[in-house]
Amino acid sequence: MLAFLARRLCFAAFLVFAVSSGALVLARLAPGDFATADLGVRAQSAEAGRLRSRYGLDRPLGAQYAEWLSRAARFDFGESMLYGRPVRDLIPERAANTAVLALAALAVATLIGLPLGVITGSGRGGLPAAIIRAGSVALLSAPPLLTSLFLVFLAARTRLLPVGGMGGSTGAAGGALADFVRHLIVPAAALALPLAAMFERLQSQAMSETIAQRFVLAALARGIPWPRVLWRGAFKAALRPVASVYGIVVGTLLSGSFAVEIITSWPGLGRLMLDALRYRDVYLVAGCAAAGAVFLAIGTLMSDVALALVDPRTQE
Amino acid sequence: MTRHTRNLAAFFLAVLALGAAWAGVRRASNAAATRVGAPSDPGVRPTGVPRGGELVVSIRTEPVTFNRFVKGDSSTDLVSNLLNAKLVRINRATQEVEPWLAERWTRSDDGLRYTLKLREGVVFSDGHPFTADDVLFSFAAAADEAGGSVLAGALHAGGGTPEFTAPDPLTVVMTLSEPFAPGVRILDNVPILPRHRLQPALASATLASVWGLDTPPGDLAGLGPFVLAEYLPGQRLIFTRNPSYFVRDADGAALPYLDRLVVRVIPDQDAELLALEAGDIDMTTSEVRPEDYAPLKRAADAGKITLLDLGVGYDADAMWFNLRPGAFDGDPRASWIQRDELRQAITMAIDRKVFADTVYLGAGVPVYGPITPANRLWYAAEAPQPRYDPAAAKALIESIAGGQPVRFSLLVPKGRTAIERAGAVIRDELKKIGVTVDVVALDGAALVQRVAGPSPRFDAAYFSLYASDTDPAINPDFWLSSGTAHVWNMMQTTPATSWERQIDELFAKQAASSDEGERHRLFADIQKIFAAHQPVLYFVAPRVFVASSSRVAHVEPGLTRPQLLWAPDRVAVSPARAARPER
Repeated sequence: MLAFLARRLCFAAFLVFAVSSGALVLARLAPGDFATADLGVRAQSAEAGRLRSRYGLDRPLGAQYAEWLSRAARFDFGESMLYGRPVRDLIPERAANTAVLALAALAVATLIGLPLGVITGSGRGGLPAAIIRAGSVALLSAPPLLTSLFLVFLAARTRLLPVGGMGGSTGAAGGALADFVRHLIVPAAALALPLAAMFERLQSQAMSETIAQRFVLAALARGIPWPRVLWRGAFKAALRPVASVYGIVVGTLLSGSFAVEIITSWPGLGRLMLDALRYRDVYLVAGCAAAGAVFLAIGTLMSDVALALVDPRTQE
Repeated sequence: MTRHTRNLAAFFLAVLALGAAWAGVRRASNAAATRVGAPSDPGVRPTGVPRGGELVVSIRTEPVTFNRFVKGDSSTDLVSNLLNAKLVRINRATQEVEPWLAERWTRSDDGLRYTLKLREGVVFSDGHPFTADDVLFSFAAAADEAGGSVLAGALHAGGGTPEFTAPDPLTVVMTLSEPFAPGVRILDNVPILPRHRLQPALASATLASVWGLDTPPGDLAGLGPFVLAEYLPGQRLIFTRNPSYFVRDADGAALPYLDRLVVRVIPDQDAELLALEAGDIDMTTSEVRPEDYAPLKRAADAGKITLLDLGVGYDADAMWFNLRPGAFDGDPRASWIQRDELRQAITMAIDRKVFADTVYLGAGVPVYGPITPANRLWYAAEAPQPRYDPAAAKALIESIAGGQPVRFSLLVPKGRTAIERAGAVIRDELKKIGVTVDVVALDGAALVQRVAGPSPRFDAAYFSLYASDTDPAINPDFWLSSGTAHVWNMMQTTPATSWERQIDELFAKQAASSDEGERHRLFADIQKIFAAHQPVLYFVAPRVFVASSSRVAHVEPGLTRPQLLWAPDRVAVSPARAARPER
């Protein structure tokens, strides 16, 4: 197990290095730079020259990259041109917000999607199963951007939930944590609903294949009640497909959260990266990409662990 | 339950528990890290305007610093206007200069010296007295380009940057190297900072790195109407009344009227308007998009919000060609693409009524130059206004193209719906006269790189060009051939054309003249020359609409951003509805 974890950590370190380096190089090669983005048509002024000189944008890409790399080795990822703050200070505060959102969405999607998948995949769901299937297809068809807009619209019209932001005001009714949870509902639901639909579809497919297997028939023949066969034996056996995509889902949540964070004013990594890209803040782009790679690595690790839990054969 | 199922359940529960626990820790640490005590209410109660309450406004991008001297974006500027005061303030509703920290001023007969008397008894929010030394310090910091100041350009007056001296603690003298008609108007560009706090940073050329967003709110000291109480990154800034603020209203009551002002960061404009309709915010800090007018009008009719029509805006989006000499060397289009006739044909070929209806959904008026009718003081109605005449436009095109196909690309910024629609209208209208336009949408930085980079590579562009002031003398960057915003051919060492040389000369004269009538005549001449050569094409100026909640009781709308919050000390909320609905 230790060797397995060591391999995974090495892979994660390589992933972070490759992704952040690639992001920095691509952002630097993209047309325009921080001075053009910041100063607009006055990008040839003396002020633009000073900005380029201050952030090394007037140096060749190779020299800039080499310097960034040598500093990154000492965990100094440079200074954000946009915010004038060290990247290593900016990333954790935003990445943590994204992690909370992603974890909440993942938990909600899992708790909703898997049981519904069991119901629709059992073949005995009747009309409710058909409605769930239709709902899943509809949610899968809608991009997170649309789901977010709809939920924000719903929140605005019903006035039941805050329209956006992260809340946490100490003066709010019920305290800061309750206020935070109320603000979390809309963005988490926007991310969780399409994900729950995906889990439902995967689990449903796996269930319908599992219950056709002979061990299910044998269990029923031994007189074990159908619900017990379904929710214990078949459910566990059908979990493998969902567990195997968990890691990818974490990565997807990060990228999918870009749109959701913008629409719902959630101050996460997605919003930060969008601003960084728009302003060609190359060090911040590299930092955000590195954080994304860390998310992906953690997700992959979670996926492997989950898979090992539901299918002991993978440990061999 | 089998061992594996139990393990799986435990795994999911652990994920949930970790998330919830982290959330709690995060909220608690945020609150602990940035909270400071709110200042007490001075206890003055005016009789005229409602006092107290909280106003919530939205911005779409977060400020990048609390130091206005190093960044000039709209959010940083808004925050600076809450925290700081200036010597004078341009009233955005009337465009007149009004006293602020300077209570009066005089000008010498030769127009070179302005003597400003400062208010007595003014103190910073930390209690330190304000004197002329703070003014000298602030203008020295503004002029310190090497230290990272972005305000140096805003202080250019005629031949150079003014000199500031202080004969006594309550007097400041501004001396110009040559007469400059706008005079003290340029002082609206520089907030006054506390010398006692920031002098070491200026001395060590590190002013650019002070007062970043990680500065504890208690370390900021200003002369503005509010003090920062709390900042939550990416979410909001909470300001409370500055009890030391020096301005009083006509009733003699201390301003500001509000107890609290919350600035929320809402990046998406759709979400911003939904928040306004839902009552989560009281006002936005920018104008309403044309496509949002109809739903907001319905909300206004239902009594949920107030929608204000402020009339025609000062700025219109503009189209221009690359007129840099040699830009099309070796290109077969070189014989016609930079000629005046092409631009004259285009301005005749665009049906401005169709343009206004399609791009601004009817809420716009035709314009023919950079000065719109909104700028009543400087608009020259007598400048030529070409009529819509596609047949004449087509004949003009044929006369210069000599049978060649007329085709060019038009760069537009991606994601700006009105501008993208405008690109489509230009393409469709010009197609009718046989001109093919390839509209290319690029993101902002890429577009600027193509248009204003070291070696501009573009045929034509359609973009927003904002003037920094309604007085043309304060916008030399656009008008002068040496200007950095002279977009069609920037930063010329000597004027490339005789008409640009003529504009340069007239501009210098009008900026230096102390005779307002002469200034207007000279600037009307400039507008006529501009209209004759059309280096930049203007089609329609949009009407400006702004929306606020019906709680907002006392605003003086201006046409420039933030239209309703340019004087935050004078904004109030209705007492009957001061309490926000509990959400």
